[in-house]
Amino acid sequence: MKPPNLFRKSAEKGLVYSLVMIFMMMIGFHVVAANLMSKVFGVTVLRGSIPEVRFMAFVHILFAFLFGWGASDRQRDKKSRIRQGLITSLTAGGIIALFSVLLNYLVEAQIDIRQYLTAFSADSMRYFILNQGQSGIFVLFAIYLFTGLLGTILAIIFQSEKAQTSRQSLKAKIGEAAQTFSDKMPTLVKKHWKYGIYAILVVVLLIMPMRWGSYYNFVASVVGVYVIAGIGLNIMVGLSGQLMLGYAAFFAMGAYSVALLNAPTPHGIMLGFWPSLLVGVVAAMIGAVLLGLPIMRLRGDYLAIVTLGFGEIIRILLKSDLLIDFTGGPRGIHAIQGPTLFGRSFTSDSDYVYLILVFIAISIFIYQRLANSRTGRAWLAIKEDPIAAQATGINLRGYKLLALIIGAAFAGLVGGIAAARNAFTGPNDHSLMVSINVLSLLIVGGMNSIPGIVLGAFALRGLPEILREVETYRQLAFGILLIVMMLVRPKGLWPGSRPVLEKVDEEVVEEISTEIKKPKRKRTHA
Amino acid sequence: MIATKKENFLLKLRGSGTIIRYILGILAGGYLLWRLYRVFIVQSAFGLETWTRLLIAGLVIGSVYALIAIGYTLVYGVLFMINFAHGEVMMLGSFAGFFVLEATRAMEVNGPGGVATSFSNAYPGLAILLAFVAGMSFSALVGFYLEKIAYRPLRKAPRLIPLISAIGASFALQNAALLLFSPQTRTYQNPDILTRGQGWRLMINDSAVILPYTGVFTMVLSIILMVGLILLVKRTRLGKSMRAVAMDKDTAALMGIDVNKTISNTFIISGILAGSAGVMWGLHNGLLHYFVGFLPGIKAFTAAVLGGIGNIPGAMLGGMVLGLLEALGPAALDISFQLKDVIAFVIMIVILIFKPSGLLGEVLSEEKV
Amino acid sequence: MPELVIETKGVSKIFGGLTAVNSVDLQIPKGHIYSIIGPNGAGKTTLFNCISGFYTPEHGEILFLGRKIQGSSTDLIAGMGISRTYQNIRLFGNLTAIENILVGQHTKLVTNWLDAIIHTRRYRVENSTSLSEAKDILKFVGLEGLGDYLALNLPYGMQRRLEIGRALANGPTLLLLDEPTAGMNPQETVDMVRLIRKLRDELGISIILIEHDMKLVMDISDHISVLDYGTKIAEGMPKEIQSNDRVIEAYLGPGGAALAAKYQSRKRNNHA
Repeated sequence: MKPPNLFRKSAEKGLVYSLVMIFMMMIGFHVVAANLMSKVFGVTVLRGSIPEVRFMAFVHILFAFLFGWGASDRQRDKKSRIRQGLITSLTAGGIIALFSVLLNYLVEAQIDIRQYLTAFSADSMRYFILNQGQSGIFVLFAIYLFTGLLGTILAIIFQSEKAQTSRQSLKAKIGEAAQTFSDKMPTLVKKHWKYGIYAILVVVLLIMPMRWGSYYNFVASVVGVYVIAGIGLNIMVGLSGQLMLGYAAFFAMGAYSVALLNAPTPHGIMLGFWPSLLVGVVAAMIGAVLLGLPIMRLRGDYLAIVTLGFGEIIRILLKSDLLIDFTGGPRGIHAIQGPTLFGRSFTSDSDYVYLILVFIAISIFIYQRLANSRTGRAWLAIKEDPIAAQATGINLRGYKLLALIIGAAFAGLVGGIAAARNAFTGPNDHSLMVSINVLSLLIVGGMNSIPGIVLGAFALRGLPEILREVETYRQLAFGILLIVMMLVRPKGLWPGSRPVLEKVDEEVVEEISTEIKKPKRKRTHA
Repeated sequence: MIATKKENFLLKLRGSGTIIRYILGILAGGYLLWRLYRVFIVQSAFGLETWTRLLIAGLVIGSVYALIAIGYTLVYGVLFMINFAHGEVMMLGSFAGFFVLEATRAMEVNGPGGVATSFSNAYPGLAILLAFVAGMSFSALVGFYLEKIAYRPLRKAPRLIPLISAIGASFALQNAALLLFSPQTRTYQNPDILTRGQGWRLMINDSAVILPYTGVFTMVLSIILMVGLILLVKRTRLGKSMRAVAMDKDTAALMGIDVNKTISNTFIISGILAGSAGVMWGLHNGLLHYFVGFLPGIKAFTAAVLGGIGNIPGAMLGGMVLGLLEALGPAALDISFQLKDVIAFVIMIVILIFKPSGLLGEVLSEEKV
Repeated sequence: MPELVIETKGVSKIFGGLTAVNSVDLQIPKGHIYSIIGPNGAGKTTLFNCISGFYTPEHGEILFLGRKIQGSSTDLIAGMGISRTYQNIRLFGNLTAIENILVGQHTKLVTNWLDAIIHTRRYRVENSTSLSEAKDILKFVGLEGLGDYLALNLPYGMQRRLEIGRALANGPTLLLLDEPTAGMNPQETVDMVRLIRKLRDELGISIILIEHDMKLVMDISDHISVLDYGTKIAEGMPKEIQSNDRVIEAYLGPGGAALAAKYQSRKRNNHA
């Protein structure tokens, strides 16, 4: 007798899977997926044209396989797992086939609904059913049914005990080999290999900007700007636990300071880049004090909403006619002058990459020293438990405000640099989108961790620039990524760890840790 | 003693937040009064007819805000989280209603006089009803799955985690709409009897003030919905279980209440209200695009906070007050209408700083030591 | 008259209409272990919260070493030398054990964020001394070698001791312990009692203790006060409290004293 809800659950799963696929078609992502697929096979497709049909078929096969793989529960026995796979694949295939019937009808009757659903062009609809018309529907159904079943069967084999033990033994062997390899290394290398990697990284970073084309330099500086912004926001969110959604406002203060003081229009003050950058940093810090003092007693989500409101107020003011003579209104400010250093003015993209690299280094230095000091620990304590933190003598307001001020200083700095680099700043450069981007990179990468922030900045800003095809889908992916990260890995890809301060000998630790059954993991919470 | 000196200094510093708050408050209040004095006494720029016009606009928009705000308040009541994606739920409902109206307009039927006309004009009541049903049910569906996918697994997590998930959901829904329906702005096709801009003409100071049909329709319908909601919460089993879950989830579960189901129902109800608000917004305002949910969402949250979050009559009152302030504010202060959004945000910040419990709310209890 | 570490004069705390603490006078001598007992909801923790500054009492005065402290905020009171632990442990779970203690030292340290960035001389000196002190405290509370574990990964009994360690870190004059043995097994309780004694005998810290384990209280306390419905109903040495009729009635309800006497006499008869 099979469990009563097996059928229903599997059918539901199939429904969800097919809806995912249908949604992808409705936003036109299937063409992009086929495009990426063709890239995997090394076939370049002209921009704007549709890749060969076989790649669409591959995409269907891939998804059908994944659906089949995910169809069955590990805990069940083989027979019901196969049954689950069958039901899920049947439902998914059936619904996709029905959807294809609809598509086919729309194509053949030449009904144009692009006015309502933009992705439903005849080409794109036909492409989804493999340019085959009615027979394509059967092909699709077959693909989802059989590849899905194949996926289920392979999942069962792969997850069987036998396969698992053999994988574990393989893992153990690799581990052993790595152990013997590292044992053979001289102690100097063993202890300091990290520094070696850092050194290589630094050398690469120093050479690459000269070698890269200006496009990659552009990408690098965008990523770099977001790394600095991420470090600044991490001081607010990651260390002191204040969820700030108006970070772009501080960005704007830095950018507009540089723009107003160092551009020919609207004021033509031409103070020079460095002094105006300093003004920008100070302005952002003052802004943080003015925002921070009244909102100190707000908690978590209220704080988030108030800071969001603050950011929007700044943006709307910049955009409005009220300040049009002062800030240029919605048009923004053009021709912002860049910095000069030792009589050399910054013109090329690589110059800015170097400038940003220097500031990244400074930011990391400051961040590291703060994070592991009395101040940093006080911030973390506030984040963990404000009431207990105050009872240990920490002045809550003072420290929260300090975190806001220092974080804002980073934002002012980076806003000024970005304005000079783009030679332009306008209200839309400082929208809520920017704040959410910075926050997302922290969350995706991992808070309180420099590698995490760099990784996050690269994943969220660098990858979409490099993979131009998916550009349109970036924001959607952002949103989904945020949810998925919260569900699966709320601490981010590379979460920070706490420093080892007591430094006990390994043997002693071994001895004690048998007493404590939990693994020795030093991770901070997102 | 050095320590004492430092303590005294700290004590002084501690008061500074409050002092700065009050200084800011007095300055802002003084500025407001001066502005009002200028506009009303010195300039007396607008006549009664203008004020009536603005008042009507404020009431209409306020009733829409109130409906959305109730959704925030209901969800906050049971989950203690801000459903950041609520504005997007409304936007999607608005789209659903839009498609139904488009379809009914495209359908040709034989009208009452035997003349071929579109379905939406032949049976306007039915067409509007269908639009509302579509909008409400789609929003309810979105709300239901939103909770199930993005919030339910995070119910035990620290508070910021579901909030971030909600921000992600808001983003995802917004951009899904952008990709599905394209960024273009669409116009709601009302049936002829509800044509925008038409209405009863009131003569005030010898000039006509139009009381639009869509506006009256919106207000009446939202009042009906709100009364229905209050009855639902006060009288029905579902309402009782919602209140129980809001008070204490664990105890409610022990009393045999299905907490998950109750929370799902709460999301469905708030989705229904948001969907109807979306369709009303479309009928009255006419414009629709993927971003249309964001600002009303934030403002409705402001309204919920203004009234006291977690408090249903508070959300209604807050919505109305916010709508009126937003409509009358720019004229009363003689500032550009571009800045009306700033008014909402400033009100929100001021309320959260000075009276976080809102107009009707209870004092949010401090975390227990 | 010994020097008093805490003196409360007519302290009352009212929540809405409920008087949680009603005009309580306490004189707590320096260097003593002073227990406050009473049935659930008697206002013991509320009194603690008044002393440590979470609440400001509506009436009355709280003197710490002769200085008025009511109305000051918790961080200032902590800076004066009053530390506390909590009924339900409130450690900084995602910091390591030793970092918890370093946070506990907060009021003792002086370097600020600029020192930290520049690594000034005084920062380096303070850093090394505070670290070694923290290690000493870990050793004192019996957590040597566990400093680099996240606090939330420690077992329950160790978390209790770590919380005491954190409270010790700023060198307090007075320690408020709120049910330090709640939820512990007998062995852990014994260790805890030893630790509390050590606090008084080796460090000379005055301790106010809230505890439900009567055996422990009678065993360890120099002096006991009993609260019931926010009012102090008895005080004195452990012996005096044990035979106090009002106390027994507070725990067992009206007629409790007679019941207890009966029980006691029967026990004696059985022995005889």
